[in-house]
Amino acid sequence: MVRVVKHKEMNLIERLYIFEAFRGLYTTIKHFLRGFFRYETLPTTGYPEVKPYIPRDYRAKHRMMVRPDGSPRCVACFMCASACPAHCIFIEAAQSADGRIEKKASRFEIDHSVCIFCGLCVEACPVDALRMDTCETSFVHPKRKDFIVNLTDLTSWNPKDYPDDPQSQVAPGGTQNKQALEVWGEVKC
Amino acid sequence: MMEFIESKTWIEWLLTIAKLALAFIPVLFILLLIPMERRGAGFIQDRQGPNRSYIKIPFFGKIRAFGWIQNCCDGLKLFFKELYEPKNVHKVLFSLAPAIPFGLTLLTPCVLPYFASLNFTFGDTVVHIPAANVDTDIGILLMFGLSSLSVFGTVLSGWASKSKFPLLGALRATATSISYEVCLGLSMMGMVLLAGTFNVEGIVSWQENHVWGIFVQPVAFFCFLLSAIAETGRPPFDVSEGDPELVAGYHLEYGAMQFGMFYMGEYGHVGINSILMATLFLGGYSIPFMTTADVQANFGGVLAALFGICAFLALAFLHMVYRWLREFNKGKASNKDEINKEYLLYKIIAWVAVPVFIALAIASGLFLHPEATMVNGAPVYGIGTALGTAAVQFLVLMVKTVFFCWVWIWVRWTLPRFRYDQIMHLGWKILLNIALLNLVVTAVIAKLVMGGN
Repeated sequence: MVRVVKHKEMNLIERLYIFEAFRGLYTTIKHFLRGFFRYETLPTTGYPEVKPYIPRDYRAKHRMMVRPDGSPRCVACFMCASACPAHCIFIEAAQSADGRIEKKASRFEIDHSVCIFCGLCVEACPVDALRMDTCETSFVHPKRKDFIVNLTDLTSWNPKDYPDDPQSQVAPGGTQNKQALEVWGEVKC
Repeated sequence: MMEFIESKTWIEWLLTIAKLALAFIPVLFILLLIPMERRGAGFIQDRQGPNRSYIKIPFFGKIRAFGWIQNCCDGLKLFFKELYEPKNVHKVLFSLAPAIPFGLTLLTPCVLPYFASLNFTFGDTVVHIPAANVDTDIGILLMFGLSSLSVFGTVLSGWASKSKFPLLGALRATATSISYEVCLGLSMMGMVLLAGTFNVEGIVSWQENHVWGIFVQPVAFFCFLLSAIAETGRPPFDVSEGDPELVAGYHLEYGAMQFGMFYMGEYGHVGINSILMATLFLGGYSIPFMTTADVQANFGGVLAALFGICAFLALAFLHMVYRWLREFNKGKASNKDEINKEYLLYKIIAWVAVPVFIALAIASGLFLHPEATMVNGAPVYGIGTALGTAAVQFLVLMVKTVFFCWVWIWVRWTLPRFRYDQIMHLGWKILLNIALLNLVVTAVIAKLVMGGN
């Protein structure tokens, strides 16, 4: 169905343009005076000094969740690499030292210069190992290979930056690490 | 030769030559207009505008001077870029064209008075020095003749570029400025008629003694404003550089300082037209309700008022700085120390300025009573009072001019660009008729009210 938008007919004063022009001038001078005398109320911020608020569910840089003993949660199931439409995840599997778990990732690399930040890898992960909640949005590097992050980079996050997330507090250094470590137990070969 | 030199005393020669510096004032307006335009546009669009460029000084760190350093950055960038010309351009005309509008900004204001004629006693002689560099009876005609020459820069650049878009842009710009110059001249004729002289200083002194031009010629003022905006080719009349159709207009093929010259020419033209508007319709250099003689008789009081206003402005500035810093320090910016150090400099300057201004105001109000000698029944003062009055009048003119400069920017960031046929329609069918009608009505009323001549 075609939607027809009917504009109001302009009356004589509006068609004369000159009065409407003065109304426009009034509008802009209001904005100017606000900027001039109330500079601090401007909606823009000085970006690099004042960082904007980014919500947790914003799809930003990836991080790898870790178990209570500090090892990455990844079980090298390749679900994320298969789901990735940009083919930016590279995984190399190895046998896990833990007898309860079959595999671990000996290499896990994400190329952020290729990544399209769709979040499908996070959806695909069966063990909640991969997340995109770091709120890091700026990717600036001098070389292309600097955009490739490896397992060490992915797991080097601080639990203190995620105080509201119990899964992050389980990691070493978190508030619930002790209890979680007891439940998790020793590594059995 | 010796007779020519000896026809004037040394002080007359000195002041006459020093007056030539006044030719650079419209060029200096560029320094004001660039930050005013860019930050004004920012504020109008709820942005901050360019405020990042800085110079580094010891202790206070990065001084940004509220975005004024941006001038230096813009200028330096343009100066140090390579002068580039495309393959088949007409080499001579191509490099000559940008110089024309810029050169004319130096030449055009030669008839504008920035202060009343200097009249003072020097030793036992009475010296009279006209305010304008070229003091002629055809003053304003000369000025319009010179300023319309800047069209040559436009049309030559369009032609010499040997490219379609610049040529089209140049044709449009030329047509616009020529047609609006007709309205410009006609709307100004009302004031000339009332004052009875083409001499710009004569027009100002008529306003000084009677009433400001804007009150007797409101219609003419409005026509003049519109046509002045159109004549400089600034938005909303900038069809010559309408980017959707013509990329950038007649300076499309130019880069570096050649492009900069066009822009400086345009800004200089804006400055000149603002001065002209202030001069013709806002009483020029005259202080409201005071003639030059009044100012000289009460010179101490006038200076006291001036310094008082300066002190008030410095206090207002301090208030704004403190309020902004309070809000800023509540925020989460990572460069708080830097900013606070920078603003410390501004605070120190303003805090020094306030007592200095107040002291100057009190001193000049209490102790400044210039002595007059009567020459032909009129009081004539010494050189100090004469130059001081000139400085005060110059400041007053600058305030009025800056207001009109702001009008230019204000209009630019408010109104959308007109279509080309709309501009011609407005120019030839509406403004021209209004200006003509206004001239006829003014002439009839002037004849009836003022009688004869």
